[in-house]
Amino acid sequence: MTHFDWGSGAVVKPEETKKKKNVQIIPAQTDLKRRAVNFIKGFDINLSPEQLEELEKVVQKSSETFVRDIGTDLMECRKTIITALNDKSKRPAAVEAAADLAYSVKALGGTFQYPLMTQIAKSMETFMADRTTANEKQLLVAQLHIDSLYVILAGRVTGFGSSVEQATVAALTKLTERYESPRE
Amino acid sequence: MNAKIDFSKISFLIVDGDKISAQVVYDTLAYLGASHIQRVKAPNDAFDVLRTEKIDIVICEWRLRGMDGLEFLDVMRNSTNSPNRFIPVIMLTAHSEMRYVTTARDLGITEFLAKPFNAKALYSRLVSVITRPRVFVNTGTYFGPDRRRRQVQFDGPDRRSPDE
Repeated sequence: MTHFDWGSGAVVKPEETKKKKNVQIIPAQTDLKRRAVNFIKGFDINLSPEQLEELEKVVQKSSETFVRDIGTDLMECRKTIITALNDKSKRPAAVEAAADLAYSVKALGGTFQYPLMTQIAKSMETFMADRTTANEKQLLVAQLHIDSLYVILAGRVTGFGSSVEQATVAALTKLTERYESPRE
Repeated sequence: MNAKIDFSKISFLIVDGDKISAQVVYDTLAYLGASHIQRVKAPNDAFDVLRTEKIDIVICEWRLRGMDGLEFLDVMRNSTNSPNRFIPVIMLTAHSEMRYVTTARDLGITEFLAKPFNAKALYSRLVSVITRPRVFVNTGTYFGPDRRRRQVQFDGPDRRSPDE
């Protein structure tokens, strides 16, 4: 509290109590760096274009597995959706399967030179997200996405495709907007 | 002479329910020379591994069955039962929108890698984790690597300066 000091005749202000800092800075853990970084063995920190190309080949090793496995998953998911169209009790499972598949394709398509699949899967994933079930039309929208993905995979359409493929992506996205509601 | 990374000295844990995605990461690490690579599909299995083995880097998918990648990260950074609160975690995810990135950052992610990814992007995250370890910050609301990555001129009071 501010007070008057009779001895010195001055108004004395109390020292401002310093706000206690509650931030703790913990030094970086350098053990990993000490163990692994050296000048003799291993890969350069900055890889040359040739080394990066080799590394990319390693990633692409799984490309065939992707085509085979996703192809199978797309067929199975299509069957599940067709069954769910006639059986309401199977719709939640179909929605879950379609959402999972959409995420997987969105995540991996571009890695294996199928960015067009990633685009379509993204549209499908957004459409399926946070749904627990779907009506008939919504299931048909999901099925159209799956059919498109299958055509791209079967035709090995790498890259973003031509204007036809891009028009398909735009049309699918419009469909998802049109049948967005109800979201249950 | 160029500095190198000897990946054989580092142990990895991949937490990913997607078979192909996990395989791609595994193949890449194996090619780089890593000999100790564990793969699990679920966070609970990851905790088992982390409690019994010495793991240096975790590579984790966001979308997982049961507990998701964010909850896994939250437990790793903030739980008293955490096997290692300081372990570097690289989050792999197809959720690449900014809000997901900031959420992961604010829970203490070390690196974020958006899917679809390529070899160069994965390698750069590994290099960053290994060669540029960051200080950890512990506040009432955050525990994790320093989120200030850019060195920018700042004229205001330094709230992190040590107590006088």
